Amino acid sequence: MSLATEIKFTLNGRPVAVRVPATMKTLAMLRDVLGLTGTKYACGEGECGACTIRVDGKTLNSCLMHAVDCDGREVVTIEGLKTPEGMNPMQQAFVDHGAVQCGFCMPGMIMQADYLVGENPNLTRAEAQRGLEGNLCRCTGYTKVLDAVGSVVEQKCCGRR
Amino acid sequence: MQDIKTYLTPRGIDEAVRAMAAGDVTVFCGGTDLSPQVESGARQYTATLMNIRRVEGMSGIAEAGNLVRIGALTTVTEIRRDPLIARVAPILAEAAEHFASDQIRNAASLGGNICNASPAGDMINPLLVLDAEVELACWQAGAVATRRVAMADFFLAPRKTGKRDDELLTAVFFARPAADFVACFRKSGPRPALEISTVSVGIGGRLDNGVFRDVRVAMGSVAPTPLRARNVEAALEGRRLDADSIRAAVAASRSDAKPIDDVRASAWYREHLVQVFTEEVLNHVLGN
Amino acid sequence: MEQKATAAPIEKKTLIGQRVKKPDAPDKATGKTRYINDMVLPQMLIGKVLFAGRPHANILSIDVSAAERLPGVHAVLTGKDAAGLKFGFVRDNIPLKNKVRCEHDEIAAVAAETEEIALDALSLIKVEYEDLPGVFSPEAGREASAPRIQDNFPDNKSLRFEFKHGDLAAAEAASDFIADNVFRPHHVTHCCMGTSCAIADFDNNGKLTIWTQTQYPYNYKMDLAPALGISPGDIRVIQPPVGGAFGSKLDVYPYEPIAALLARKTGRPVKVIYSREEEFKASPTRQAAIIHMRTGCKRDGTLTFRAADVLLDNGAYTSWGPTIPVIMMRTTSGHYRVPVVDFQAQAIYTNNPYAGSFRGYGNVQTTFATAQQMDILADQVDIDPLAFHLKNAQKSGEVTPQKSFLRECVLAECLETAAQASDYSRKRAAYAAERGKPGRYKKGIGLASSIHNAGGAKIHKSDGIGTILKVDDYARVTVITGASEIGQGIDAVINLIVAEELGVPLEHVTIVNNDSDIAPWDVGVHASRTTFIAGNGTRRAARKAKAQILNAAEKMLGEPAETLELRGGSVVRDRCGTPLIKLDRLLRQMHFQAEPELVMVTDYYEPNSEPEGADHVSDHSAAYSHAVHIAEITVDTLTGEIKVDKITSAQDVGRVINRMGLEAQTEGGIAIGLGYALSENMQLEGGLLKNPCFRDYKLITAPEMPELEMHFIESNCAEGPYGAKGVSELPTIVIAPAIANALFNATGVRIFNPPLSPEKVARAIHEARQGGN
Repeated sequence: MSLATEIKFTLNGRPVAVRVPATMKTLAMLRDVLGLTGTKYACGEGECGACTIRVDGKTLNSCLMHAVDCDGREVVTIEGLKTPEGMNPMQQAFVDHGAVQCGFCMPGMIMQADYLVGENPNLTRAEAQRGLEGNLCRCTGYTKVLDAVGSVVEQKCCGRR
Repeated sequence: MQDIKTYLTPRGIDEAVRAMAAGDVTVFCGGTDLSPQVESGARQYTATLMNIRRVEGMSGIAEAGNLVRIGALTTVTEIRRDPLIARVAPILAEAAEHFASDQIRNAASLGGNICNASPAGDMINPLLVLDAEVELACWQAGAVATRRVAMADFFLAPRKTGKRDDELLTAVFFARPAADFVACFRKSGPRPALEISTVSVGIGGRLDNGVFRDVRVAMGSVAPTPLRARNVEAALEGRRLDADSIRAAVAASRSDAKPIDDVRASAWYREHLVQVFTEEVLNHVLGN
Repeated sequence: MEQKATAAPIEKKTLIGQRVKKPDAPDKATGKTRYINDMVLPQMLIGKVLFAGRPHANILSIDVSAAERLPGVHAVLTGKDAAGLKFGFVRDNIPLKNKVRCEHDEIAAVAAETEEIALDALSLIKVEYEDLPGVFSPEAGREASAPRIQDNFPDNKSLRFEFKHGDLAAAEAASDFIADNVFRPHHVTHCCMGTSCAIADFDNNGKLTIWTQTQYPYNYKMDLAPALGISPGDIRVIQPPVGGAFGSKLDVYPYEPIAALLARKTGRPVKVIYSREEEFKASPTRQAAIIHMRTGCKRDGTLTFRAADVLLDNGAYTSWGPTIPVIMMRTTSGHYRVPVVDFQAQAIYTNNPYAGSFRGYGNVQTTFATAQQMDILADQVDIDPLAFHLKNAQKSGEVTPQKSFLRECVLAECLETAAQASDYSRKRAAYAAERGKPGRYKKGIGLASSIHNAGGAKIHKSDGIGTILKVDDYARVTVITGASEIGQGIDAVINLIVAEELGVPLEHVTIVNNDSDIAPWDVGVHASRTTFIAGNGTRRAARKAKAQILNAAEKMLGEPAETLELRGGSVVRDRCGTPLIKLDRLLRQMHFQAEPELVMVTDYYEPNSEPEGADHVSDHSAAYSHAVHIAEITVDTLTGEIKVDKITSAQDVGRVINRMGLEAQTEGGIAIGLGYALSENMQLEGGLLKNPCFRDYKLITAPEMPELEMHFIESNCAEGPYGAKGVSELPTIVIAPAIANALFNATGVRIFNPPLSPEKVARAIHEARQGGN
């Protein structure tokens, strides 16, 4: 049995304390211990991005991150993007632009897209393509995903005027 | 089942290397290599798991005299975005630009990429071109002791470096390149990133009035380790960089590159690409 | 009280052709949707499978005692627990094996309290194998000396198909040009993002509930039953949201009965779920084949014949893969006007992984051949290349040699639209002229078309669908449909059709389609049938409901039903849109009147297609359609990398129903086809998969997607819902040969074995140059 360690961190804005084995990855902790199944397992080795979450403001593959490394950090999952008023602009854009088909890759895709626009409000379509290169999708061909991202960039840009 | 008995999160280098002196320690930061390797069974956890991400003194990119120092915990994203690197060593930023995916770039540490010692290690190639050194720390006689090893001498076999088990790779140093230093890095596609490179070629040197000096040529995925292509360097060193010397360099690449057939590519294709990239990179350098 | 007649008129606004959001998208975008992969049931155990890991062997002994004793293990099953449970439509498969015939043969299965314990238990199972020589290609499999793989199939011969029409010898003699090539479409796999998963639970009446990713819930019962020795009627199939299917879930695969056998043994729900590596190794593949194709024509461009001799790698067991000749022959006989046809296909058992169905089903492989041969001949005939395509393009009303009746056929319009939009003819000539000149990067443009079923394929006794529809007192509509939603967007189409017919808001429609105890029959998602058949079923049911409602309105309002309509949540006068009564009010009045009336209708729609028939001469689909793709590429002649710059597509969709969903399916289909063309490849060596991971099995990523210009041609199919045809396979079918043709245009090199990987292209160019080309 692997050593279990108590960790404390902020999850989607709320403090959480949990005991996890040292070998456990953040993805398994989120899904199996904390019941947040929005973040998906699709490869377990950092090649597909379905497990993308945001930690201390940066996205990463939760299947590669040791759960114990969440200690003291700020973790945001797909469940944390929604506000009491409704979906966040990126989520809404994905719905409005038909970017969601089977939807399995979408939590990871939306987390990454949301991060990209946050980092670079002037994100071009080509930059968005590069930024999403670590998120595999089998249904959409990425086209409407990129349309959705573009619409959020435009919104933000127009919103600032 | 993995039987970890101790989990450590040291805050200082001394704490970290003291723990490593006891042996049986698996070190991780982002875990971007450790995790898939444990998942596939290629690696096993040892009794102690040590998270070095919070160790102070191992981060940051700064000038230290005429050297540039990059802390081992620096992420690939940080290298990609760093203004100093962009100014003095853009070849490193170029490699970071084509490294894996954004999510991995955000978590992967330079030290991890180096210690993983894959022949395809994308951050290793430009560091060889920059003739970098790694700094290794260990606990010795009650204190932290460090030594430096040239990257060109550091890689011994696939996934094996000259770092001892009780040593921690703390930083990478390279001399700030001279004003006339030019360098270029090329990695195989077709994807812009998210590829274990089939072949990578990095070349740098001082281009002084058309003469190419202090030439460093690095190749990835064409040998058991990332390598300095000494024959190509010899073909270029001190010569005018022109069509003739480029031709000689391309011919020489065949004696440095010893590629194999594997699931990603055949030896023929790797050899072919090495020549294509050598010529391409040299033309690019010449053009600049 | 009735609505005042002075209320503002409600204008007629159609949803057909509009952009309609997918109803489940918000839950999916917020991570709220519980996929089958996310499901946890009380008392659930985890099932894991021990795979053979070798391609061909006798099992000398299995010792599970240590595994059984491991704390937390509730059951260990092996081949002896599956004795007699043969399944598969030629009954050559069994849930747990007594002999190893391929790498992913299931040798044992464990149910335990956690995945970790289950995996540990697997490692404690001791199996003694006696390796046997293996067969790794169909050519090797049909050698007299080849080891027999399946007991009931001597000579390793599996299914055989044939279709012949006309005098081949005469047609050959009459041909001025014959393209004669061997194509080797390769093994690829579906790579659904949600890995394979099934949860099984028996109740105490002996009835099985199985949560499954199946895309064909009814025949699935029939196919699963023999694997368990129970009656299909005792199986309840529940389909939770799934992470993709693409045809991989059109058959029963061993992990599913394994979940049920473990559930029966333990008396608890058991979830079997694959890791990505298991998914790569143990899922069905696309059917690999060796196609020797010949296409002949006269110098004036008239096609004279098409002959195909096909050898299929059946793999170790027979699933849908070896049945693709049923569609391959339709392409061979129906892609363009072909007077004489000679088709034969033989599947041969091997120790390779076996194939199922995959989007495009046999047409991907065949069109890769036919469309390249059209391009080859286009350069030989006396007429302009585009004219060659147009000359042989069928027109509405034509019938193919197999009796596919092309009622509404707009292939010519698709060709012209795509060619004009992309400036095809001029570029093709210009790039060909650049071929021999120096220069590292070469541009190329390639055209390919195909024909495919667009209204199902009557290969079963029925190709129909049942629909149950009710409208409640709040004017909320529930549609209980046999149609499965697998991510392709049939939910949005059904939603749209109901809203269109009953004049209710989209948000007031609920679709129930995921429980075989509730939903009526459907044959499943395949053959591009769902929009057509489920669309018609939904429309018919909705119209029945509307008729009942308007009849009731006539009685209550005294205005003739034929003059009334349902619009904007009200009953209105059709001509002027004057609202007369709100729909929900009317429904409540219907309910609470002296003779109460609830609106609950049923419908069964069987398309007017003909059964396939043993001679394969039948109008087996309710509709057919065409697509044309023009691919524009830039080739790096040194590295061999192909960059796809732009794809122009023109597809006969009959009628656009949900424009956004149609675009989405086209874009996604193209992406799968691009992977097939350029980068995906299952590297099998000695029956073992060498690249069972995304690192080494390359899907198309976001930066690799080209600019897409899509043209949807509306041929207005009389039988289709609002004129619509099925759409989702053609985008996957047509793109690969378009790229292969573009490669030839750019470099003079033609590749017959996909994928057109950088190494393959570089080698081919290198060899051509060395050959003094």
